[in-house]
Amino acid sequence: MRWLASQEHTLFLGQGVRYSGHAMFGTLEDAEVPVEKRYEMPVAEDMQMGISIGLALQGYIPVSIYPRMDFLIIAINQLVNHLDKMEEMSHGEYKPKVIIRTAVGGKEPLDGGIQHTSDYTEGLEKLLNNVDVVKLEKPGAILNAYKWALSNDNSTILVEMTGLYNA
Amino acid sequence: MNKEDLIAFEEEIKELFEAGQIRAPIHLSVGSEDKLIEIFREIREQDWVFSTHRSHYHALLKGIPAEWVKNEILAGRSMHLNNKEYRFMTSSIVGGCLPIAVGVALAIKRRYLNEKVWVFIGDMASTTGMCHECMLFASGRELPITFVIENNKFSVNTPTDRAWGIGKYLGDCRILDYERKYPHSGAGKFVTF
Repeated sequence: MRWLASQEHTLFLGQGVRYSGHAMFGTLEDAEVPVEKRYEMPVAEDMQMGISIGLALQGYIPVSIYPRMDFLIIAINQLVNHLDKMEEMSHGEYKPKVIIRTAVGGKEPLDGGIQHTSDYTEGLEKLLNNVDVVKLEKPGAILNAYKWALSNDNSTILVEMTGLYNA
Repeated sequence: MNKEDLIAFEEEIKELFEAGQIRAPIHLSVGSEDKLIEIFREIREQDWVFSTHRSHYHALLKGIPAEWVKNEILAGRSMHLNNKEYRFMTSSIVGGCLPIAVGVALAIKRRYLNEKVWVFIGDMASTTGMCHECMLFASGRELPITFVIENNKFSVNTPTDRAWGIGKYLGDCRILDYERKYPHSGAGKFVTF
């Protein structure tokens, strides 16, 4: 996250990016991501996805954070109907680029249960034609994956495994 | 463009549609010209306009050349009139542009730009949770955005007030009531899509 935050046009938005509450907050704090680059969002996942698209239209590269994949599901409307289709529906006029950071909740030491540990990676891959989905199953792959996402022409969903945060 | 020009444009599109030259849905206006022209007097070249599936008037009043708009409609993109040069965007998902418009307004505020966002929605879209969230966020963060609700009292053919009842609106929001001349889509003769 430190490397991503050092990139000129990146912004970080989501619930728990300025206030504690989930593991991803810790990764932003540890990386000393400047608070002025963080937008704390209300619980409004689909609106957050749309706002991320709007920021991207103005030249920013939003890193839109959904601490659980289960929560990202609530943003499917803007993700599938707009971010994925924007280039085609605008006949090439607009191509917003958003990096979406999400995670499959862990089952150790606490099991979050069926609504906090679901993995919808395959489902998203089937729903999306122009947004790439990358599952991060090894801690050593994470930095290169984010570097790739930043250079990728398309928007990217990076799926982390919270069970690996302490690995 | 004046009122007569706008009506003439829609009448021409209607005729082209009925002649089978447009092989995609169209959503005609007519009835809202005076109020729209008044609103667009405030909209500057550098401002962004976010529209809906019913966007012909908005595009023309934003200054996009009528020939370009007509060609896009003939190409089947009436519901997707998008033009970056004129900072104009539409979506055919009800309320779809709302949060995107808010995101652009957030960026404008962050960069202290001399720009503003205008987002047009229908009356049913104005009652959605998304609209409520966007108005709350934009109002709370004092974003440079105005919401314009074009109230023809129907969502397709569902009377909005019977389905919901209209509540209070937040922030900079204007309600533009008008009676529609044409049905929800098409020009009068039923063509399914």
